[in-house]
Amino acid sequence: MASTADATERRERLQSALWYTIGQFVDNEGAEDFNATPQFIGALTELVYTQIENSAKDLELFSKHAGRKVINADDVMLLTRRNEALEETLKRELDRMRAAEGRAEDQQPKKRGRPAGAGAKGKGKAKA
Amino acid sequence: MPPKAAPAARRKGPSFNPPRPVKPAASPSTTQRAPKATATRPAPAKPSASRSGFQPATTIISSDEEQDDEFDDLPSDIDALMEDALDDEPQPQQPAALDLSTPPIPAPLLVRLLHHNFQDEDTQIQKGAMNLLQSYMSLFVREAIARAKDERERAARNGGGPSSRFLQVEDLEKLAPELLLDF
Repeated sequence: MASTADATERRERLQSALWYTIGQFVDNEGAEDFNATPQFIGALTELVYTQIENSAKDLELFSKHAGRKVINADDVMLLTRRNEALEETLKRELDRMRAAEGRAEDQQPKKRGRPAGAGAKGKGKAKA
Repeated sequence: MPPKAAPAARRKGPSFNPPRPVKPAASPSTTQRAPKATATRPAPAKPSASRSGFQPATTIISSDEEQDDEFDDLPSDIDALMEDALDDEPQPQQPAALDLSTPPIPAPLLVRLLHHNFQDEDTQIQKGAMNLLQSYMSLFVREAIARAKDERERAARNGGGPSSRFLQVEDLEKLAPELLLDF
């Protein structure tokens, strides 16, 4: 009993936090351009919360299915499997992140034997 | 070098281009406008500009065609121009749109939200996956807002009523099903 009450309370707190962040974001984003009713913010929060909820469950199952306990970037890419354009956008984002990582690693001489950029791209190609 | 060849081969459609219905609707509307131009030349310029004011590229093209009076090669010309626009536009826009300003959901909050929703408490997430998920959610939120704006503009144009700049819940209701199918 106590645990379910705890869980609902935590859920409500998280939702409030998300509501606050989304509200801030909308206000900043559309400062001069547009505005949003409080109800819109609330509905958008609900939508985003549900999306995160579903994504979390999906990611967990994806990693479990691969026999892992740790979610990695490939699992996230699986979220985009139904939208090619989205997949491409995220792939570019992933490549950019990996390239940035690779550049950081290149500055340390010991890691130069295995260039991170090539590894990342090779992985991407194997998946495609 | 396989790594070099991979991105070139994968590059097919235009990259992520949110409000889907706008693009197909644009080319019929420009072709419709052409016959009108034969009847009364100077008049149609104004309504066309106001009707699709949010797409400056197409309005410019149509006004050029009206002056030239060449209706035969109008559709092919427009197609070519549209393809050019599709090819050129997204490449410079996309990276700027992604790392522009702050993400809507800060990482610590997203981590807590995720862990709250995991069934198994042992599940963990890598740092890179976390960053990627953050851009995913960022895209989701921005996309929702952009489509809501689009709905609002359309509602203001069709209804002609009070064109409030406040995004409404109804806007979100209209776009939610398609948005969720896209993500």
